[in-house]
Amino acid sequence: MSSEPDSPPTNADEVPDAILRATGVSKIFGGLSAVSDIDYAVPRRGIVSIIGPNGAGKTTFFNMLTGLYKPSTGRIAFDEGDITSGRPDRITKLGMARTFQNIRLFGTMSSLENVMVGEHSRMRAGLAGSIIRTPRVRREERKVREKAREELAYVGLQPSQHDQLAINLSYGDQRRVEIARALASDPKLLLLDEPTCGMNPNESARLVDFMRKLREERGVTILLIEHDMKVVMNVSERVTVLDHGEKIAEGGPAEVRANPRVIEAYLGKSGTEG
Amino acid sequence: MSEVRAAMSRRPAQIALFAIVLAFAVAFPLFLPKTDGNTDFMVTALTYVMMALGLNIVVGFAGLLDLGYVAFYAIGSYVLGWLASGFFANANIHLGVSGFTSSLPGIHVNWIIVGIVAAIVAAIGGILIGLPTLRLRGDYIAIVTLAFGEIIRVFALNGDAITFGKDVRLTAGRQGITPVDPIQLPGIERFNPLDLRPWYWTALVLALITLFINFRLRDSRLGRAWIAIREDEVAASSMGVPLVRTKLMAYATGAALGGTAGAFLSSYQNTVNADSFQFSFSIFVLAMVILGGLGSIWGVVIGAIALTYINVKFIPDTLNPLFNDIGVGFDPTEITGGIFGFLLVTMMIVRPEGLLPERRRKLELTEGIGVGESDLGGEAHP
Amino acid sequence: MEAASVPAPSAGSRPLDAARGFLQRWGLIVVLLILPVWFGIQDLSNDGNLVRLGNNLMAGLSNGAIIALIALGYTLVYGIIELINFAHGDVFMLGSFVAFQFWNVVLGIGLGSSVPAIVLGLLLSMLVAMIVCATLNVMIERVGYRPLRNAPKLAPLITAVGFSFILQNVGLLWLGGSPRSVDDLIKAQDTVFTFVGISVSRADLLAFGVTIPLVIALTTFVARSRLGRAMRATAQDPEAAKLMGINVDTTIALTFLLGGLLAGAAGLVSALYQTNVWFFSGFQAGLLAFTAAVMGGIGNLRGAVLGALIIGCIGQISDNRFGGEWTAAVVFGYLVLVMVFRPQGLIGEETREAG
Repeated sequence: MSSEPDSPPTNADEVPDAILRATGVSKIFGGLSAVSDIDYAVPRRGIVSIIGPNGAGKTTFFNMLTGLYKPSTGRIAFDEGDITSGRPDRITKLGMARTFQNIRLFGTMSSLENVMVGEHSRMRAGLAGSIIRTPRVRREERKVREKAREELAYVGLQPSQHDQLAINLSYGDQRRVEIARALASDPKLLLLDEPTCGMNPNESARLVDFMRKLREERGVTILLIEHDMKVVMNVSERVTVLDHGEKIAEGGPAEVRANPRVIEAYLGKSGTEG
Repeated sequence: MSEVRAAMSRRPAQIALFAIVLAFAVAFPLFLPKTDGNTDFMVTALTYVMMALGLNIVVGFAGLLDLGYVAFYAIGSYVLGWLASGFFANANIHLGVSGFTSSLPGIHVNWIIVGIVAAIVAAIGGILIGLPTLRLRGDYIAIVTLAFGEIIRVFALNGDAITFGKDVRLTAGRQGITPVDPIQLPGIERFNPLDLRPWYWTALVLALITLFINFRLRDSRLGRAWIAIREDEVAASSMGVPLVRTKLMAYATGAALGGTAGAFLSSYQNTVNADSFQFSFSIFVLAMVILGGLGSIWGVVIGAIALTYINVKFIPDTLNPLFNDIGVGFDPTEITGGIFGFLLVTMMIVRPEGLLPERRRKLELTEGIGVGESDLGGEAHP
Repeated sequence: MEAASVPAPSAGSRPLDAARGFLQRWGLIVVLLILPVWFGIQDLSNDGNLVRLGNNLMAGLSNGAIIALIALGYTLVYGIIELINFAHGDVFMLGSFVAFQFWNVVLGIGLGSSVPAIVLGLLLSMLVAMIVCATLNVMIERVGYRPLRNAPKLAPLITAVGFSFILQNVGLLWLGGSPRSVDDLIKAQDTVFTFVGISVSRADLLAFGVTIPLVIALTTFVARSRLGRAMRATAQDPEAAKLMGINVDTTIALTFLLGGLLAGAAGLVSALYQTNVWFFSGFQAGLLAFTAAVMGGIGNLRGAVLGALIIGCIGQISDNRFGGEWTAAVVFGYLVLVMVFRPQGLIGEETREAG
C-alpha cells in the first residue's frame, strides 16, 4: 500500500567523490537472483550502512565487492579502478579489507600471527628470502610484528593476549582481532559484516566510537552491514536498504527509518507475514 | 603465561639437546665398521627424513593432500640416471667429475650439480602437477595427485618405448638404469659401497639443510600464508594471500626436496629402479608425516625414522625370528602392507594428531577447528 | 570454489555461464571421442571395415559393465558422505576371491561338472560373494569411517587407504602374489553370435546379464523405496534428514551395504570373465571405477554407469592399440582432464561448489 515510486531511488550518481562505485550489479545462482541490478556508491571517508531483512542479499553483495563472487552483471569500481572480476587478494592489495559475519580467524594461530597474515600483501619476502633471511627480510619481519602489535593495541587488546591462540579469546576479543587483521593491510575502505553481532549495547557503543576514531585518525572509509538499528542510526551518514536482492531505499538514517517500503520489508506486508 | 613465552624459556634446553643429538649423529659411524648395517639404515632413514619433510610442506603446512609424492622421487632419480650414468651411451659429456668416472661413456655430471638440477626439474614437475588441483577441494586433490603419480610410474616403466630421434630413449624401461655414478665431492675420492660413512655424512648434511629450510619457512611470511590457506582458504584470500602462487610454491618446494632426495637415494643404491615408483611409496612417506604429526617438523623426523625402522629392520629382523618361534607359516615381510594399513587405520582413529603434534593440528583434529570452512558466509539462498 | 582463485576473463552474464558449461561438456565429449574416431579411421584404411574397433567397443562395454558395478559403489558412498571409499576396489577383489574359492573349494565345481551344477553353483557363489562384500563394506564403514565423520577429510581418506592395504594383504596371503587362474567354467571367450562382424562372447553376455538387472534393481530401489528416499535425502542434507526422523547412521550403512552387494557380484563376473583372480586387481579396478564415477558425475547413478561404459571402452582401445601397460596412464590422463575442465562430470550439474 505504498505511494512510493516502484523503482528504487538510485542516488548513486549523487555521490561525487566515491571510493567505491557499483553499477547494475547482479548475482544469479542457478536461475535465481540473489542480487538484482544494484547501483551503489560509497563516499570517500564516509561511514555508511547496508541493511535489510535476512536473505536480502547483503552478504552476497559484500562478497561481490571483495571479489569472492563474480557479479553476473554490472561493474564495480574501486578508487577509479575496475575490480569487477578481481581476485580477493588483489582487491585487498588495492586497499579494501573486510571482516566476516561468522568470525573467520585462523583459529590455531595466535592473535598476533593472525594480524601478521593480514599484512601479507604489504610484505615482500619471497621463498628465497624466507629461507635465507637477509637483513632486509629480518627487518621486515620485525616491522611487521611491531605493526601487528600496534594494531592489536589499537583495537584494545592487552599485550598478554597477543600470543594467545585466537580461538581461546572471548568472542568480543575475537571480533577485535578480526578488525585488527583487516586494518593490518592499511585499507582505504573497510567492510564490516555485522560487526556488532553478539555484542551488548555497551560494546556496540564502543564500536561506534571506534569506527569514528578510525575515520578521523586514519581516514578509513567504512561500509557496514548491520542488524542493530541503534548502531546504524547512530553511526551511518547514509543507509541503503536491500530486500530480496533489490535496493528499496537509500538516504539518511531518519529518512530511511520512516520509509514505508522499508517498514514493510521488515515487518512483512500488512504486518502479518513473517 | 603465554604460550610463546613458555616456549622461549625452554629454548636453551632445546638447543643443548639438539647439539648433543647432532654430535652423536655425526660421530656414531666412526665407532662402527665402514659398511655397518646400522650406518646403512641411517642413510636410508635420513633420506626418508628429507622426503617426509618435503611432503610436510605440501600436506602439513599448506594442507594440500598430495597422494602422488612418488612422482618427485622418480623425477629426481631419472635426472640422476640421465645426467650421471652410461644411459646416453653415445654422448660423452663430463662435468665436474674426475678419475675413473671421467673416462666412462655417457653423461657424467657431478652430483652436486645433479642434485640441484633434480631439485629444479622436480619443482617444475610440482608446479605442473599442482596446477590442475588449484580449484579442487581436498579429496579431489588427492585423486589428481595420485593419478599423476601413476602416470609417471607408467612412463618410467615403459619409457624405453619412447624415443626422441635416433637413439635417445626416455627411460630404460623395466630394467632401470644401472649403474649410476656415486657421489663425488671436490677433493674427495668417489664414494663407493665399501665405505658408507661419506654417504652417511652427506645424507646428514642434506637432512639438516632440509630441516633448516622447514624451520625457516614455517616462521616466515610464506609459512604463515600456507597455514592460513590450510585453515581457511577464503579468509586467507580475503586477507591478501594469493592462492594460486602460494599453493604452487608449496608444491614446488616440496617437490624440489623430494627430487634431490630421490637423486641421492638412487646414487646410493647405485640404480634407478623403475619398480620402486609405486603408489605405496607415496603412502609410505605420507604415513611418516601423519605418524609424526602433520606440520610438526620434529614429529615428521621421528615419524620418518620410526617407519623406516619398522619397514627395514623391525619386520624382517625382529618379527621374522618371532614368527618362526611361534610357528607362523609365512614370512612377516609378506604382511608389511597389512601391518602398514593397520598402522594407518589405528593412527587416524586413536591419535590422528600424530606423535609430536604441532599444537595447531591437535586443535584441528580434536576440536574440529579450521575444518570445513567452505561456505562464503552468504545468507540462505533459495 | 567459485572465485577464490584465477579470475575468469570477464564479468559473465548468465548466457555466458551457460555457454561455458555447454563448451565444457561438449569439449569433454569431443576429447573422449578422439580415440575411437582416430582408430576407426585407421581401421577403415587398414582393414576396410570397423570390425576391430567394433570388437574393441564390445569388449569395452562388457568390461565397462563390470566397472559400472564397482563405480556405483563409489558414487553412492561419495554422494552420501563425500568420501572416496578407497578400499572399495579391494572389497571387489576379495569378492572375486570369495566367489572363486566358494565354487572351487566349497562346492567343488570344476570343468567336469554338469551344466546345471555349474549354473547353480555360480549363482550361489555370487550370492555368497555379494553377502561377504556387503558385510565387509558395512564393517569398514562402522570401524573406520563413522568415528571420523566430523574429522577433516584427510582422516577417513587415510583410513580408507589403510583398509585398502589390509585387504590387499589378505588377498596376497590367501592366493599368492601372482594372478591365479580360474577354470574357464563358462567358456568365456566362445563367441555366441556375431553381428556386423563384431563377435559377442559368453563373457560379454555374462557381464551384461548380471549388470543390467542389478543396475535396474538399484536405481529402482533408490528412486522408489522408502529407504532409497532416505538415502537421497541424507545425500542432499544430512541435518534436515535427521530432523525428519531419518536414521542417518543406518542410511549410510545401507549405502555401503548396497555398494558391497554390487562389488561382490562384480567379483564373480570378473573372475569368470578374466579367468583369473589377482590380489592387485582391486587397486586397478578401483581407480578405473572411480575415474568412471567422476567422469559421469560423482553422486549420480546414471552418470556412474555411463562413465563406466566410457572408461571400459577407452581402456579396451588402449589395451588393444597402445598395449595394456599404457592403459593406466591413458585413463588417468582422462581423469585429470575431467577434474580440471569439468569436475562435475558429463551428467552432473554445475553447483556452487563444483570441484
